[in-house]
Amino acid sequence: MSQRAEEQLKERIRKGHILESPEEMTPGYRRAIIIQLTVQADTELMSAPAYWLAARHAPSTNTQVSAHAIIQDELAHANIAYRLLEDMGVSKEKLVYGREPHEFKHPYGFDQPLDNWAELVVANGFFDRAGICLLGDVHRNTSYGPLKRALVKVDMEETFHLRHGEVWMRRLARAGGAATELLQRCVDWMFPMTIEWFGLPDDLKRHSGQLDYRLKGLTNDELRQLWMSSTVPLCEGLGLKVPAHYDEAAEEYVLDYPFPCEYDPEAKHWLFGDGEITWDAVFTRWKGRGPMNERYVESVRRSRGTVSSWLN
Amino acid sequence: MTGEGVYEVFARKKRGEPLRHIGYVDAPGDELARVYAWKTYDEEKWFEMCVVPRGAVIPVNRDDGPWGRNRRGEGDDG
Ligand SMILES: [Fe+2]
Ligand SMILES: [Fe+2]
Repeated sequence: MSQRAEEQLKERIRKGHILESPEEMTPGYRRAIIIQLTVQADTELMSAPAYWLAARHAPSTNTQVSAHAIIQDELAHANIAYRLLEDMGVSKEKLVYGREPHEFKHPYGFDQPLDNWAELVVANGFFDRAGICLLGDVHRNTSYGPLKRALVKVDMEETFHLRHGEVWMRRLARAGGAATELLQRCVDWMFPMTIEWFGLPDDLKRHSGQLDYRLKGLTNDELRQLWMSSTVPLCEGLGLKVPAHYDEAAEEYVLDYPFPCEYDPEAKHWLFGDGEITWDAVFTRWKGRGPMNERYVESVRRSRGTVSSWLN
Repeated sequence: MTGEGVYEVFARKKRGEPLRHIGYVDAPGDELARVYAWKTYDEEKWFEMCVVPRGAVIPVNRDDGPWGRNRRGEGDDG
């Protein structure tokens, strides 16, 4: 299809047009939404093993149950996004079982181990909140009808995950002593991790078409600000230190560390002292994947071969 | 896995409300489709939920989209 068809579609979308089926997509639109949905599906899928391994640290049966309820939600969210891709002729089977672990498109944050209960609840407070910022924006703005409807359920459940994170962060913060110290250590590595998750700043952003086709409404920097506008006050209210503050004059949140910068995944430590690095260096780190990448992918699909062979 | 079909999921929240299309699941048969739908779409306390094999939906005025494939003779989804 021609460039003219792409421009015509963008023009109709600007006027509020909603697409209802893959047949109505131009090649450019199709490419862009496939990338968006793959990232979305992979992120949901990889959050499940990350949370699952961490749920072992639940302090009681009740908390074990709520942690697993969240994991079940994430698997359903992944399934819904992969199912939408199937309707566009992309094989869920191939995406889940046919790729190398490093080929998944989830953010680097879900390649990291969550080693204790505090890390799991801060993941709910930070990562799930990032999910709400990103998917809530898609829900409000997307020009693809089936995705808009699918996100009703997802948004509702992500809000529950976030609440779980906030309630537990508050409890740990009030406890003081070792609990609060542990919570602060989580915030120290997970805050910058989520900031980086939102990707390239707008002034460096290559043109992706996601905004033109109205697959989302806010830019990376706007989403990063949105995330900080609820995360920073939450942490400050709990007496936790975060490397960002609100700048009254600029009327926006400002980071207090070199961004982007290098990360040591073994030590779970950001190398603020080494100064700013290039985004190319960040992409190289992302592409190299983090310490849990293979284990997480493996844990999602390890029994498939065996069980299928019994059934066939 | 072979033999998976798509099932459309419909539900209503309470008496008096319309049955809405809320999503879809892949399943190898009707019984598992019921289970997958109930477990996947558990965000509400549904008053009523049902599943319909995608191939059983007959579009009336449009022949594009997933259901239109049935009219175009491409339906392979259940
Ligand atoms: Fe999710
Ligand atoms: Fe979540």
